[in-house]
Order: sequence, then C-alpha cells, then structure tokens
Amino acid sequence: MAVGMKCSWSLLCVFQNDNSIRAKGREKMKDPYEILGVSPNASDDEIKQAYRMLAKKYHPDKYANSPLAESASEKMKEINSAYDRILNDRKHAGRERRSSGYSSGYSDSTRSHYNNIRMMINSGKFSAAEQELSVVPSNERDAEWYYLMGVVVYHNGWLEDAYNYFQTACRMDPNNVEYRSMFNRIRQQRSGAQGGYNTSSAASESCSCCDICTCLMCSDCLCSCCRS
Amino acid sequence: MFGYLKPVREELKIREYELYKSVYCGLCKHLGKDYGIISRFTLSYDCTVLAMLYLSLTDDRLSVNKGRCVFNPAKKCLFCDCSGEGFRFAGAVSVIMSYYKLVDAIEDSGFFKRNCARFLKFLIKRSFKKALRAYPEINKNVKLMMDQQHDAEKTGCAIDKAAEPTAKMLSELCISILPDDSGKQKILSAFGYYIGRWIYIMDAADDLEKDVKHNNFNPFKDRLKGNINETMLYCNDVLNMTASQIVLAYDLLELNAYKEILDNVIYNGLSFQQKYCLFDKRRSKKCRKKNRDYYPYLSGKNSINH
Repeated sequence: MAVGMKCSWSLLCVFQNDNSIRAKGREKMKDPYEILGVSPNASDDEIKQAYRMLAKKYHPDKYANSPLAESASEKMKEINSAYDRILNDRKHAGRERRSSGYSSGYSDSTRSHYNNIRMMINSGKFSAAEQELSVVPSNERDAEWYYLMGVVVYHNGWLEDAYNYFQTACRMDPNNVEYRSMFNRIRQQRSGAQGGYNTSSAASESCSCCDICTCLMCSDCLCSCCRS
Repeated sequence: MFGYLKPVREELKIREYELYKSVYCGLCKHLGKDYGIISRFTLSYDCTVLAMLYLSLTDDRLSVNKGRCVFNPAKKCLFCDCSGEGFRFAGAVSVIMSYYKLVDAIEDSGFFKRNCARFLKFLIKRSFKKALRAYPEINKNVKLMMDQQHDAEKTGCAIDKAAEPTAKMLSELCISILPDDSGKQKILSAFGYYIGRWIYIMDAADDLEKDVKHNNFNPFKDRLKGNINETMLYCNDVLNMTASQIVLAYDLLELNAYKEILDNVIYNGLSFQQKYCLFDKRRSKKCRKKNRDYYPYLSGKNSINH
C-alpha cells in the first residue's frame, strides 16, 4: 500500500510539473493556485475550502446594487475559472469537472410600470433614473418606487436614506421577496456582522434561542441515558 | 482627519507593529525634510495609514534605518524611507488638512481659541505653501470640501448629505494614488468614499455632546432625546453599515505589501474605534480606565448596558 501511495504521489508531481510548463505557455494567465491562495501541492479538500471561502467573500449577493458589483463579479469569474482549471488538471484523481460556479447577475422577475426606470438602473444611468423617480408625485409613490429610489441612493453611497427607503418599501409591501432580501441584507450590515462593531456579541451572557435549544437537546440526551 | 484610523496594537505581530511604528517615524522625518520642521506637528495616525495604502498600492520597497528621534534624542528608533512618492503625498495631505482645519477654527471659535488658531496658522503657513506647490490638486480638493461642508452645515441637513463632502474628498485622494489604473480606480473611489464617510460620522458621534453644548452643527442632534446610549447605538448602526461597505471595497483591492497591518486597520481597527469612542469613553472615569485596554477574552465584562 505504501508503494502504491508513493507511486501516485510521484505521478502527481510529474503531472504538476507538466502543468507548470503548460501554464508558462499560456501568456499572461495567472496561476490558478495563486488566485485561490493555496500551494500547488495542497490537497483537494484544502483547495475546496479555499474556493468556498473566496466564493463566500466575493459572493454577488453581497455586492448587489453596489457600484462595485462589476469588479466583484469579475473577481468571482476569475476564482471560478481558477477552480475549474485546477479540478480539470487533477481530473485523473477521479474528480469530475465542476459544472458551474456561483452564478452571478440578477434577473428581475417582477414586471411593473417602472420598467424603463429599471432598465436605466441596469444600464448604470443612475442620475437619470433618480430624475425620473423624483418626478412622480408623492401620493402616487408605491412600494416599488421606494425600493427603486433606495437602489439609486444606495449606489450613490447615501446609506441612511437607502435604509429608510428600503424600510418603507418593505412596510408597504411586506410579501415582496425582492424588497425583503435587500432590506435584510442592509439590516445585517447594520448589525455589524460584516464589519464594524457588533454590540450584541459583546453581551455574551444573554441566553439566546440557540442556547435554549442546545440546553434542551443536552438534557434530552441525559434522559435517554437514564432509561437504558 | 482626526486619528480614528489606526490598527489595534494588541492584534498585531511584533514585527508588524515595528513596521507600523517605523512608517510613522518615517513619515514624521519626511515631513520635516519636505515641508519644514513645524509640519512635523501635523503628523497623525490617519495619514500614516494613508501613506501605507499608497506604499502598498504602488508596491514600493522600503529601506529601514535606525536613527535618533528629533523630539526625544535619547531614544533611538527605526524609521523607513521609500523610493517613491508615498511619504511626500501623505505629508502634503497632512499639512494641507491641518491648515484648513485652522482656517475653519478661526472662522467659528471663540475669542481665545480663534487667536491661538491664528498664531498656529501663521506658523504653518510656510509648510502649507511648500505642500501647495508640490500638490496643487490636493489643495483644490480639500478647499472644495471645506466650502461644501460650510454650505451643508449652514442649511442644516441629514447625515448622508453632511458626510458627502468629506467622503468625496477622500474618494478623490484615493483615486489620485493610481492615476493610470482605471480598473482599480473604481474600487479605490468607493473605498475612499466610505472611509471618508466613516471618519465624518465617527467624528460627529464623538463630538455630539460638545456640539450640543456649544450649539454647533451636528447631524445627530435631532436624534438626541433622553438617553445618550440609545443615540450611540443608532450611530453605531450607521457606522456598521458604512464599515461593511468599506470591507466590501477593501476585499476587492487585493493588496500584497503591508496587507497584515491594513487588514488589521480595516477588520479590527474600525470596530475597536467604534466601541471605544461611542461606548467605553462615555462611561465613568474609573470604568473607562479599566476598559481602556483591548482584551477580547474579557468581552463578557465589557458588554454594553442596554
């Protein structure tokens, strides 16, 4: 068995050498291992873990409606293709090619009379969209108006106004998934989970839902202990 | 800038801390060399971080030397020297910002403070002129920011609009670090914008009581009803949202050199400053002394009283 392991190890090494030569042949292509931040002889699990971490970090959902969405999706593509290339190159180990990475981009499934404004926003004409929106008289402003206005000011960096707009949109139409997801994302940002100071984590003595659950589970385990 | 951007010392490795200190001392030395000895007094933590960002983005190699400190000749310290523009740029920002801060103080302070500011402005004038000659665009940028800030404060406005001038100015400053790289410029612009916004809001929250007492403009004044702690929790939410935008932009920057230190500033420093300035500082003096140090493993004891 030891011999077999040695054999496969040397095979892997040869294969990697081959890879590096091929990589040199491709001009200007970055080393996929470098992109994922792992060493070329990292195990498959390590690579997977590194990929998952990066995919989480640059996930398009986190950058939704942000001016940096494009850069983030480019980065995501780079990570996906690096991961695909590594998996492809290691295919002999019995791995299958990963069919698709995290898909990026948003599809607007909801149809509305604000279609032209949505189109403006999608094509990046934010100031034009803002002008169009501000023309709408205040008694005709519905939940979608508040949502779209929120998207526009969020893009401009006016985060407090954006928060208020999204909040209003959610209050007026509580069942809309689109508004709700954006509002939840912003609420998460405000809690300090993604940067900043999380005040609730400091109060660690408090008893949360999770604690109660764990407590119940533990005591349940003990119960069954006694019976047997 | 006001000294809010700095690393959490306890989270740095010793070699990182030494490097940070040597950049600080290097910047001080460069200020003296480029803009005259008076300009050394304008040195701040924010400008050190700005210098570091510059050095990191331009991949500048540092050479570290050992020398005596001018202000404390008994002490020998490490200081670095860079081959590029990093220190000159950060120094100019430091001098120009300080100058305009004094101009601002002359306009809206009381008799005693106003005359002090006049005297200091007279002292710093020479340094300012040197910086102005080296980087006229920074001066233009800061001046515009000051004017817009004045207008915004005169009319009285919400937090977003009040923070806009500072945010825009830092955005422009960050863009000017890499004038040719259009791909990174977009990220830098957003990064600078939110950093500026964070600094402004931080300053506003920090000075809230003082501004109320002296009847100065403060965007959080309307929020201040009854309990100060509740207002601070609201400010913390606003800051958190800005900080998470900073993190989003920072993650895309992909720095190599000095990454550990800048990571520390962004991931730990922002939250630590929020905790210290908004909550710990406002408690009783005895309590404050006890809580001043950063010990995350004692966080249970440091919890906020809602």
